[in-house]
Amino acid sequence: MSDTDALFQELSDAVVEMDEVRAGELAQRAVAEGVDAYTAIDRGLVHGMMRASQLFEEEDYFIPELLLCSDAMYAGLAILQPHLRRDEHSQKPKVVIGVVEGDTHDIGKNLVKIMLDASGFEVIDLGRDIPPQAFVDAAVAAEARIVALSTLMTTTMEGMAEVVRLLESAGLRDRFKVMVGGGPISQAFATRIGADGYSANAAEAVRLAKRLVATSSSDAA
Amino acid sequence: MPRDLMSPLDRLAAYGRGDAIDRLPCVPIVGNTAARVLGVKVSAFRGDGELIARAQIAAYRRFGYDNIRVFTDLYTQAEAMGARVHYPEDDTAYLAEPALGEVRDLARLRPADPLRDGNLPAHLEAARRVLEAVGKEVPVTAALTGPFTNASFLTGTENLVRLTLRDPETVHRLCEVSLQTNLAYAEAILATGATPSLTDPMSSSTVIGPRQFREFSLPYLARLVAFIRGHGRAVTLHICGRTRAVWQEMADTGAACLSLDDEVDLAEAKVLVGHRVRLMGNVSPSAVMLQGTPRGVRAAVRRVVAGAGDSPGGLVVASGCSLPTETPFANIDAMLDAVREIGHPFRCDALESHP
Repeated sequence: MSDTDALFQELSDAVVEMDEVRAGELAQRAVAEGVDAYTAIDRGLVHGMMRASQLFEEEDYFIPELLLCSDAMYAGLAILQPHLRRDEHSQKPKVVIGVVEGDTHDIGKNLVKIMLDASGFEVIDLGRDIPPQAFVDAAVAAEARIVALSTLMTTTMEGMAEVVRLLESAGLRDRFKVMVGGGPISQAFATRIGADGYSANAAEAVRLAKRLVATSSSDAA
Repeated sequence: MPRDLMSPLDRLAAYGRGDAIDRLPCVPIVGNTAARVLGVKVSAFRGDGELIARAQIAAYRRFGYDNIRVFTDLYTQAEAMGARVHYPEDDTAYLAEPALGEVRDLARLRPADPLRDGNLPAHLEAARRVLEAVGKEVPVTAALTGPFTNASFLTGTENLVRLTLRDPETVHRLCEVSLQTNLAYAEAILATGATPSLTDPMSSSTVIGPRQFREFSLPYLARLVAFIRGHGRAVTLHICGRTRAVWQEMADTGAACLSLDDEVDLAEAKVLVGHRVRLMGNVSPSAVMLQGTPRGVRAAVRRVVAGAGDSPGGLVVASGCSLPTETPFANIDAMLDAVREIGHPFRCDALESHP
């Protein structure tokens, strides 16, 4: 293993081991040694976050561990991102994400955001308790590919349907893929409101987002 | 359709003794749907114990289920400790801001006084009135949000779960002050004659792992359950989401009944923990009860009974969690009707007619 490979492995381990301080130090070292920032993120920080996600799916890690892993990842990203080349910034498909109006439970949404961040998406996080029109406006403004809607409450599920209706009535439905998730949401509900996909957890959401971006690219072609 | 031949109290007592019963106990967990039965707005329940009682009694009489639970939302104790709760005009309240802006303000937190603070007096009033009206025929409980979940409303869920790893001592302090509120509220509920019914969703493995459950949920729940049992009452503990990894610990709290949701398999719970506790569940409140059809509800009930109807500690057929406000009455009726059709002992033909 070369020294650089060892550094990537250490970055990855720092994320899995939830060591925010160490992740920052290692990122500094990568910068100081002139290691390519993109590779350090991809093979170090993101690699670690994917291992954490795997542990989460295997029910070895739970939300507390996953959040602390993401803290370590973001600590490293804050140091490495300024060193990315310009072209490495602009390639990412954009996702507008938020918790629909009437709900303030945002842990699920935050986990999806973290995993999308780690998976090559640029995430525009609107936060929680977001009115339907705000999703549409943000998606248009950002030229997003995906609108991701989350809720934990049954009372706010209709807000998801409203986002789809607003996109349709504005003639914008074809421009965006809509994905939904959260405790009371099911595939049947997603289908009924005309969403493009449903995912049961954060790891699945990433797979779904990748699939949706792939189909929307082929739609355009 | 077979009619009910026993009152809920008689049915549950006979079931507990192993005597003959007309059907399994059945509890579609009606919360704010009670407002629809009475034709009032959900927000009218705020601070109005008399109205909550009237609605809960009306819902019980309308559907004929086996337990009345005074409940409007999960935030009553946290609100009484300073959390800000948003009350939509006609829907279930939700947390607007946790009680603490900064965790370092923790020293300022005081346990709530249930006779004075927030909506707690109204809920106690409701419990008293329900008991007066129908307490001789049906068990009356009042919802009590467990220590860890209440702590999450004091400091914010994401903050709290981070602190479980970064600053366990602070989490213990938050759970302790929550427990002090829980104990005071439990005592006040018991004084009305009702029984506290515990709900602790944030303790689910969907949020925290079994390690954190054992450290932050179990010890406080165990003290709370011991207190209630000390008053001669059996306790139901509800945790929704994934719970399989903590079923033994949930039973270790001393709870007599575990109320589980549709993300778990009750047949498996029967094997792993059914000899220690009664099981309650687990028809999906959203996909089946809110969005499904009466036919779908009946099929779901049959699956639950086929899977766990012979659990050694007994089964209460129930929704996996509180029903959404707009759950169709026809679906609630269908749950009771399916249980009546199956009867007790179970009519095999009623169980086997899976679609």
